[in-house]
Amino acid sequence: MTLPAGGAASAYAGKLALITGARRGVGRIIAEHILQHGGRVAGFARGESTIDHPDYFHFQVDIGDPASVQQGFAALRKVTDAVHIVVNNAAVLTSQYAMIMPPAAAQAMLNTNLMGAFMVSREASKMMRKSKWGRIINIGSMAVSLEPIGDSMYAATKAGLASLANVMAKELAPLNVTCNTLGITAIHTDMLSQLPQDKIAQVIAGLTIPRFAEADDILNVIDFLASERSAYITAQTIYLGGVN
Amino acid sequence: MLNQDAVHAIILQALNNINDERGPDEQLVINLDTRLFGADAVLDSLSLVSVIVDVEAAISDASGRDISLTDDRAMSQAVSPFTDVNALTAYILLLLSEAA
Repeated sequence: MTLPAGGAASAYAGKLALITGARRGVGRIIAEHILQHGGRVAGFARGESTIDHPDYFHFQVDIGDPASVQQGFAALRKVTDAVHIVVNNAAVLTSQYAMIMPPAAAQAMLNTNLMGAFMVSREASKMMRKSKWGRIINIGSMAVSLEPIGDSMYAATKAGLASLANVMAKELAPLNVTCNTLGITAIHTDMLSQLPQDKIAQVIAGLTIPRFAEADDILNVIDFLASERSAYITAQTIYLGGVN
Repeated sequence: MLNQDAVHAIILQALNNINDERGPDEQLVINLDTRLFGADAVLDSLSLVSVIVDVEAAISDASGRDISLTDDRAMSQAVSPFTDVNALTAYILLLLSEAA
């Protein structure tokens, strides 16, 4: 991967980023980017690691299970006493009319997409408290704004993520911890491939900038929100592609 | 199991951690009667949260047991565990005796 415009090879030097859902998709893209730019990364995911790097630490954690998250943090604290950046990326998606959405699928989205982010932010902020510095970045979705048919619970959980960030931003501001949300558009991932392609094409066509997101579109905003200079940027949601 | 003196020391250390972050003119007076919560409390809300987090972590490290100081039970005690250091100590010792 080439360096993004303006990106420094050591932009993340001295920082440890905890990324949920780091095995694949957007989480893996962000993890590899931070590793490439001098940071260390701890990945939480249900499956085994897919990243081979000396500064990558993998923990098998079910984000949707609060006990598993706490066990993950107990293991993480044996590796490091500091977490500087959190990217709450792990998410599950079942797209279906609400009338026939299996309750278990709806519950799983609530557990992973929202409760999981809460638990990870809760535990990570305890560690950030000591260093008086932190960046919590929630990966939201264009679904919050576009409200597509079939995404009732998914969009609701992603909307909740922004509220979660905004409230925690107030609680953690005295600790120099910022909390923001990046609302991403469609990007080619395993999650997206589960959805009907005609539905995706329709959504893309309706965007202000009608194309799929690319990795660097996401990484650009991650770099911005994670940077030292963004200390005064908190409780914000930034959408890609002209979604608002 | 941790005894009263050990729990006292953990709570007082958590309060000292707050003082470490304060200026010379803002130091808390710390003793076993220091009021943690309520009208005469010396801690603001975020400082109290910090004390709770530090105490829960230190108790877990020292005893190997996880306790929660902010669940429904703690909030429904006739005498708040956060009245002062002594009250918090008594509540922690109660939790640890049950978990043993």
